[in-house]
Amino acid sequence: MRLPLMLFLLAALVPVFFGKVRSAPFWLVLQALALAWIGAIHHAEWSWHTLFGVLEVLLVRGVLAPLLLHRAIRLRADPDADLMPSNLFTWAIGTALIVLAFDFGGAAMADAPALALGVVGAMVAMVLLILSTNGAPAAQLAAVLFMENAIAVFESMLPKPWPLPVHLMLTAVYLLTVGVGSWLISRPDVPEPAPAEPAA
Amino acid sequence: MTQARAIVVRHSWVAPALVTCAAALLLSSLAVFVATPLALMPVYLVKRYFVLDATSMLFLLVINSVFLGISVYMASRVGTSRILAQKILPRALLSLALMLGMNLGVMANNLLLLWVFMELTTLCAAPLVAQGESAQARRVAWQYLLYSSMSLALTFLGFLCLTRSAGLQGVELEFALDRMAQTLPAAGDSWQRLGFALILFGLGSKLGLAPLYSWLPATYEAAPTSTSALLAAVHFNIGIVAVFRVLQVLHAREIGFVTHELLIMGCLSLTVAAVQVMAARNYKRLIAYACVSSSGVIAIGLSVSKAAAYGVVLYVVSNAFVKALLFLTAGRLRAVYGTNEVAALSGVIRVLPFSGMLFAVGTFALLGFPPFGSFLAEMLILSGIVQAGQLLAFSILCTMLTIIFVATGRALFPMLWGPSERQGPAIVESWVTAVPKLGYVSVLVLLGAYIPEPVNALLRQVAQSIGGQ
Repeated sequence: MRLPLMLFLLAALVPVFFGKVRSAPFWLVLQALALAWIGAIHHAEWSWHTLFGVLEVLLVRGVLAPLLLHRAIRLRADPDADLMPSNLFTWAIGTALIVLAFDFGGAAMADAPALALGVVGAMVAMVLLILSTNGAPAAQLAAVLFMENAIAVFESMLPKPWPLPVHLMLTAVYLLTVGVGSWLISRPDVPEPAPAEPAA
Repeated sequence: MTQARAIVVRHSWVAPALVTCAAALLLSSLAVFVATPLALMPVYLVKRYFVLDATSMLFLLVINSVFLGISVYMASRVGTSRILAQKILPRALLSLALMLGMNLGVMANNLLLLWVFMELTTLCAAPLVAQGESAQARRVAWQYLLYSSMSLALTFLGFLCLTRSAGLQGVELEFALDRMAQTLPAAGDSWQRLGFALILFGLGSKLGLAPLYSWLPATYEAAPTSTSALLAAVHFNIGIVAVFRVLQVLHAREIGFVTHELLIMGCLSLTVAAVQVMAARNYKRLIAYACVSSSGVIAIGLSVSKAAAYGVVLYVVSNAFVKALLFLTAGRLRAVYGTNEVAALSGVIRVLPFSGMLFAVGTFALLGFPPFGSFLAEMLILSGIVQAGQLLAFSILCTMLTIIFVATGRALFPMLWGPSERQGPAIVESWVTAVPKLGYVSVLVLLGAYIPEPVNALLRQVAQSIGGQ
């Protein structure tokens, strides 16, 4: 459990500190692989539900969401923006937030649930930091997807998985969010033109 | 141009169909209300995934009544707005999808299901916001979706914290509303408190409560008027239902931290709204900040629960009609003057006597004047706060409401009654646009002067379910 969690943490934190927006889909794929790994080893016995969960993570979070994000970044034509502004101030705050998150998660290295809590706490804190420091829509959408993945890690800690209908609905909501979000950001901002006819 | 005209002609059936669907929704709700006595509620549907109880019944009636007015407004504007005529099909489809989600969400008997419908309705609303006339509408729609997604993600994290709390105590938590209270561990640990705090913070942000309120004025201003009305008067209510459901689950428990959170968010929102209303020079934005202040009043009322509960329920219902009335009338002003700036409008009541009068009536209802329902509701909330001994909250509420009253009057009254710069006779307005707004005014007066007994019983039952006396 510890290895996939560490992989997930790396796939989440490296892009925040060092990544450009254009690389975000790749890191999402890596996070999805780690998530699928966590899902696969969390359940001692394999069931259809477990299999569905792993496949859903790989297909939806590992393929569809990164593809949609990649398309939106390409159409928006702003791929070289930082995911989080690279300056000493944001780096210092980011590092402090990660330390605090692991402190909140308890003795992070003591057991897997505590480590997972630390990972989730660190991710949520970093996502909020990205959203408060970066106004670029593509970076914001990537941050939202990172947040969704952090929630998925928390979900994996539950003693029993959600019932299948709930799981399906959550998947649908996730996909629609990525779809609508990438559609909304896929066009570069335009300057305000002269007043036009009201749209009612 | 010819292609645009062809689209308009091809889609001429859409607006009447939208009104028919809206009327069918309202008639169905009314039929269910008449056919199902309150004593027989709750009625569970579809394997207990949905419930028809006092809360769902009340909100079904409110949202479907308001939506009928909005759809009539859209139908009446199709003939005069080329942009709306061209986009009527996607607008109608998204509005109907939103209403379907709203109706199902209001009836959801499961917090997770309710959360899913909140997300789905938000996903329907975002493309509607993007159809605004401003160049930044798409950007604003993205901000709206971003804030909503983050708010609802925090709410979902709250659900996970509750599940973890129950798991640590060896209990399997159920999110079905009728069973959740029994399965929620009585000994509330820090996970449970964190869970409820996150849930309320997320839902509060969805309602436009401070500190995460900034999406609301920007969205309501940039969206087309009918969408602003849909968001403020209809979609807002699914957030209210979610808060009511959480309070119903927490009924008869020690919820000091929850009430404190609501109180702080409420006071903060009122303060922010008062400051922003003073600075607002745009009537649509001014109404939007008034919506932030209304959310603040509701949060403060809910924080004292017992004595103010009936007032809160009445306030929520009145507010839906006030916001719809104001936004739809603002749309009419925008259509004639072509701007949202207060400074560009003067003597509206002479140019557009009917719309001007309705805007004045809506403003008075918003400010809590008699004989409207909002007056009675505000009095009941204030009296409840005093009874609960929350004198600081009472002082803040009174001070901020006074500031909002003065600032709104200073901005809007010259706009309505000032000297008119437009020459010529008053503009004749179609009766079709007037009917829904007159309907809203009638409901507001009825709520303030005489509430029919079946409706009063429904309001009382909802108030009791959230801790009212």
